[in-house]
Amino acid sequence: MRLFSLILFTLLSLNAGGILPIDWSKVNSTQQQKASIPYPKKLIEGIKEVRLPVYLSSSYVYDKSIMIVADKGFYSISFVVNGATLLFEGDRTYQEAVSPKNPEFQKIVQKTRAVEISQSEGIMMAEFNRHGANYAISVECEKPKTDKRCTNEEFIRTLYAKLTMVGGHP
Amino acid sequence: MRVVTSLLFLLILLFASCDKKTKPKAPIDYKGFTYTPAGELSPKKSGTGRKGDNYVYAPNIRFPIESGNAYINSQVYGVGGYLGEKGSLCDKRNYAYPWHDNYCEKRGWSMPLCSGGKGHQGVDIRTATCEKKRYYAVAVEDGIITYIGQYTIKLRGLSGRTYRYLHLDSHSIQVKRGQKIKRGTRIGLVSNNMGKTATSIHLHFDMKQTIKIGNRSKSVFVPPYTSLVEAYKRLLRGEP
Repeated sequence: MRLFSLILFTLLSLNAGGILPIDWSKVNSTQQQKASIPYPKKLIEGIKEVRLPVYLSSSYVYDKSIMIVADKGFYSISFVVNGATLLFEGDRTYQEAVSPKNPEFQKIVQKTRAVEISQSEGIMMAEFNRHGANYAISVECEKPKTDKRCTNEEFIRTLYAKLTMVGGHP
Repeated sequence: MRVVTSLLFLLILLFASCDKKTKPKAPIDYKGFTYTPAGELSPKKSGTGRKGDNYVYAPNIRFPIESGNAYINSQVYGVGGYLGEKGSLCDKRNYAYPWHDNYCEKRGWSMPLCSGGKGHQGVDIRTATCEKKRYYAVAVEDGIITYIGQYTIKLRGLSGRTYRYLHLDSHSIQVKRGQKIKRGTRIGLVSNNMGKTATSIHLHFDMKQTIKIGNRSKSVFVPPYTSLVEAYKRLLRGEP
């Protein structure tokens, strides 16, 4: 009965989506780094429309296998590296809004860690929220059961630790 | 007398509500297509679903399999599954109604909307017959292909929701990264592709969206079952 009430409360408080605000003052003061070597043209061109901070792991910024799909509210940047596809995503849109008093989501937000690492369907994933936007890094392996990049957290934690802001603007 | 009657009535109501709690509901019948309610996982040992949440998170999407009957049930706990009854994965019991939700089925994966915080992120869908590379997976809404990985394809719908299609045959992929596609566009053939490690023949389908909570937000895999039930009914009516 409690679960039913909880879900009913959740549903009654759902609203339509929109754009999440980005705290650009914090972005500019803490994240902006100048690259010693100019970023590749493909990267600069691919993310020129993006209206949220774009993060990539510094080891792959100059990787030639880069593939970009982006728009004002999101980006998806991937690389194929030795039998694994690395994916960096950012998104500042939301599809539903719930009341801050909603008990289920209050709990979810309280439990959320700075970075959430999980492995599902053989894919290693790191998710985090920064300056108001939502981000994810995924590693998908050709051999998901034996490739350590997909069985062990170490690789994705390194990707996360080496994130650097490569673009995006208000 | 009136007091006794009222008490009796209350007792009947109480028994009725208790009965509802213990007995699983009978499958719902829609012109021969039957399905159990959202959150009722089968078999019971497969975990605890998100019961009572009948909200349609993705209204009016197209069913992700182009044609033929489809069956939503457990790959892991079904006949021939890793933790299921011994037998063939092609057993006819796996290819029959009613549908059983398998969102939140037991897994070790972080899932905030599942009780206990862990579970299956989407649902597994079997095609009409136990044959790989015969049935097309299609776009559930207009959108853009944002990612093609080793065995995953991501479609970002105009709604902003992201849909993942897993285990399609990689040689049959009909879309390109960055391609804008219409609802119903063929994406690829349902197969058992999981890189160089094969899995059972099925489509893993899930939906991710961001939920704003006050001044914070979180991206979560939302329950797809109710949206798929509605989409499948439209497909059966010939209104995909």
